[in-house]
Amino acid sequence: MAGGARGVLPEPARARLRLAAEALGPLALIAIVALVGAQLSTADKTDAINVLVITAIVVGLYVFIGNSGVISFGQISFVAIGAFAAAIWTTPVGTRDATMPDLFGFLASPRLTNLESLLVAAGLGAVMSLVVGLALMRLSGLSAGIATFAVLEITYNVLANWEKIGPGPTVIANVPATTGIPQAAIGCAIAIAAAFGYQRTRSCRLLRASRADALAARGIGVSIFRHRLIAFVLSGAICGFAGALYVHELGSVSVTELYLALTFSTLSMLVVGGSQSLWGATMGGTLLGVLYSFLSNAVSGTTVFGLSFTLPNGLNTIIFAVLFVGALMLAPRGLTRNREFLAVALGERAPHPRGPVAIALAGGDGESPGDVETGSSGGEAASRSVKFTPGQPSP
Amino acid sequence: MIHRSWLKMGVVMTGVFGLALGMVDVSGAAPASHAANGKPIIIGAVIDETSTMKPFDQPALEAAEIWAKKVNSKGGVLGRPIEFKVYNTESQATLAKSGAEKAIAAGAQILWVTCDATFAAPAVEVGLSHHLLTISPCTSTNLMGPEKFGPAGKLAFTFGNEPSTTGAVIARLLIQKGWKTATVVTDHLLTYFVDVCGNFTADFEKLGGKIVSQLSYTTGDHTVSQVASKAASSGAAATVLCTTTTATLPTFVTSVRTLGNTKPIVGPWAIDGGFWEPSTPKISTNLWVATYASVFGDDPNPTVRSLFHQMKAEGETPLTGGFVLGPSALEGIITAIEREKGSLTGEKLATAVVHFRDVATLSGPVTFSDEYHAVVSRRERIVEITHDKGRYVESLSPGKYGLVLHT
Repeated sequence: MAGGARGVLPEPARARLRLAAEALGPLALIAIVALVGAQLSTADKTDAINVLVITAIVVGLYVFIGNSGVISFGQISFVAIGAFAAAIWTTPVGTRDATMPDLFGFLASPRLTNLESLLVAAGLGAVMSLVVGLALMRLSGLSAGIATFAVLEITYNVLANWEKIGPGPTVIANVPATTGIPQAAIGCAIAIAAAFGYQRTRSCRLLRASRADALAARGIGVSIFRHRLIAFVLSGAICGFAGALYVHELGSVSVTELYLALTFSTLSMLVVGGSQSLWGATMGGTLLGVLYSFLSNAVSGTTVFGLSFTLPNGLNTIIFAVLFVGALMLAPRGLTRNREFLAVALGERAPHPRGPVAIALAGGDGESPGDVETGSSGGEAASRSVKFTPGQPSP
Repeated sequence: MIHRSWLKMGVVMTGVFGLALGMVDVSGAAPASHAANGKPIIIGAVIDETSTMKPFDQPALEAAEIWAKKVNSKGGVLGRPIEFKVYNTESQATLAKSGAEKAIAAGAQILWVTCDATFAAPAVEVGLSHHLLTISPCTSTNLMGPEKFGPAGKLAFTFGNEPSTTGAVIARLLIQKGWKTATVVTDHLLTYFVDVCGNFTADFEKLGGKIVSQLSYTTGDHTVSQVASKAASSGAAATVLCTTTTATLPTFVTSVRTLGNTKPIVGPWAIDGGFWEPSTPKISTNLWVATYASVFGDDPNPTVRSLFHQMKAEGETPLTGGFVLGPSALEGIITAIEREKGSLTGEKLATAVVHFRDVATLSGPVTFSDEYHAVVSRRERIVEITHDKGRYVESLSPGKYGLVLHT
C-alpha cells in the first residue's frame, strides 16, 4: 500500500496526506469515543467522559516524556494545580468561606466561569512547569525521574497541608460539574491539536534528535535545555488544563486523587500505547481507559452479550496488571511501536530505535532498509532541520 | 497485516480472561425472595470493598444487609422490602462517581456512601444532583451536609459521631483514669483526625488536663518513627493518637513500646479493632479506643452481641465497632420513610431526618439539626486492648463539654 501511494502521489502531496492523517487519526479516535459515549446511558457516559479526560492527561505526558525521552513522575503535579485552581475559583464563595476559611484573599473572593477556569488552569500549569523546568531541565535519566518525583511529593504535601491555598487533606466539593461528553471531547481534542502542532515545530524536532542521541545533538549545537523546557511548559499547560477538565467532571477534588495512583496509571497508558508517538498516547489513554472502566464495572457486576458476571474484588486490578506486564513483554515499544497513525494503518516499519542522528553518525545513508524512519514521530524531519553550525554553543 | 506481537497479545489476553472466567461469578439475574411483597426500596451502596475504606465500609454494609433481611422478613417498610445494590469504589473518585450514576440508573432511590466525606464526595455530588437522600453510615465529621456541599447538602447525613463528641469522650476518659498529662499525636491525612485531636485538646484542658506536647505527621511522609520517638520520651501520662489503620499505626505503637514507653495509647474509632495490632503481646498492650461497639464479642447491648456473632458465623467478622452504624443508618432511613408515609422523595426524607431528636437506633439515640448532619452527644464504648485481647470497659458520654443540641 505504501509503495502504491508512493508511486501515485508526488512527494509534497504524500507529505501533506501523511501530516493530515497523523493529526486526524487521534482526533478520529476521540470522536469515536465521544460519539459512542454520547449514546450510552447516563451511568456509562461517566466512564466515557473519564476516558477522554484521562487521555488528555496522557497526551500532556507525551508532549514532554515522549518527545524528550526523559521520564517525569511530576506531571500530575500540574494536573493537581490546574484542578485545585479550577475547583477553588468556581466553587460558590459561600462554600469557600465555610470550608476553606483560611484561603488567601485572591483565592477566596473571585468566581470564574467554566471557560475562564480552564484557561487559568492551563496558564497556572504552564507557569508552574516553567519554574520547575528552569531548575530541572538539565537533568536526564534516573536523576530526572527522581527530581520530578520530588516535585510531585512537594506539590502533594503543600496542597495537603497549606490551608491558605486549599482545603488541606479534605475535599473541595460543590464544584460545577460542567465536563460532559462535549467538553471532555473538545478538551481532549485541543490537547491533541496542541501536541500535534508542537511536534511539527523545529524545536520539537531538535528535542527528538536529542532524545535519539544527546551527545550528537549537542555536537551540532542543539540547546537541549531550551527545547526540553519548551516541551515541559507545554506539557504543564496541557496537564493543568486536563486537571480542570477532571475536577469539572467529578464535581469535587481532594489531593489524594491527584497523586501516585494517577501518576502511575497515566504513565502506564503512555508506555503501553507507545510513548514516542501521539497516536500511541491517544491509543494508550483510550484503550486502557476503556479496559479499566470495563474491569472496574465488572467487579460490581456487568453483562456482556447477555451473560451476567461479577469479578471478585481485586481481580480487576490483577487482570489489568497482568495485561500491562504482557503488553510490555510482547510490545516493549508500545502497541503502536511508537509509530504515528498512518504508519500503523499502512503497516510501515517502526522507527529506528536510536533515530536519525545515530544513523547519520554511524554512516547510514538513510535509504537502506532499517535506516528509513517511515511514519515515525518526526525524527526524519529532525534530521532535515538540524543544521551543523561550527562554533554553535552547546548547552 | 496482523503483526506477530498482536497475535501474541491476543493469546495472552485470551489466557488472562480465560483464567478470570474461572474465578468469576457467572449468573443470570436471580430475583431475591422477600417476605414483604411490595415494590423494593432500593438503596444504592457506593462503597469501598477493596481498598483504604474497606475495613470501615464493608462491615457497616454487611450488618445493614443482615438488618434489612430481618426487616424484610417482618413485612418490610410499609410492606416494601429493602434491597441493596452495591458498587465498589476502590476508594477512587472516578469509580465513586460512576458507581453512584450506575446505582441510580439501576433504580436506587436512596444513596449510601463510603465512610469518609473526602472519598465519598464524588458519589455524594451525584446523589445530591439527583435529589436523593444521601447517607453515609459512619463518616465521623460534620462534612456530610450543607457545610461542605452547599445548599444541596441538606439531603446528606452521616450516622457517625461529630468529632467534638469523640474528642470530649477521650478527654473525659483520661481525666477519669487519672491520666492528667497527655501528648497529642495528629495524623494530618484526614480532617477527622485533626478535628478529633483538636477537640480533645480543648476539652482536656478545660477539664484540668495538661498537654505536654503536640506532635504530628502525615501518613506517607515517613516521619512516624521520629514522631513516635518524641512521643515515647515526652513523659506524658498518656498518648492520644488520631490516625487510622494504615501502616503507620502499627509502626507508631511498635516504636513507642520498643522505646520502653508502656503508658496508655488512646485513640478514636479509626484505630479500633484488633486486626492491625502488632502480634507481640508486649507491644499490643495498654491501648484504649473510643468506639461505637465492641468487636471482641462482649458489647453490653445483647442485640449488638447477637449481630456480631451472626456476622462472625457468616464469615464476615466485623473489624471495627463501626459495624453497628450500618443498622443504625438503616433504622434512620426506615424511620424517615415511615414518618413521610412511604415517600422516597429526597427532600421529604431529609426533612424527616433533620428533625430526628433522640431517635433510638442500635448505636444509641440519634439527633440531627440544620447545622449538624452528624450525630452529637452519643455515648461511646471504651475498649481496652491488653495482650492482644480486647475487652469492653464502659460506655462514656461526652459530658458537659460535648456539643449539646438544644431541641
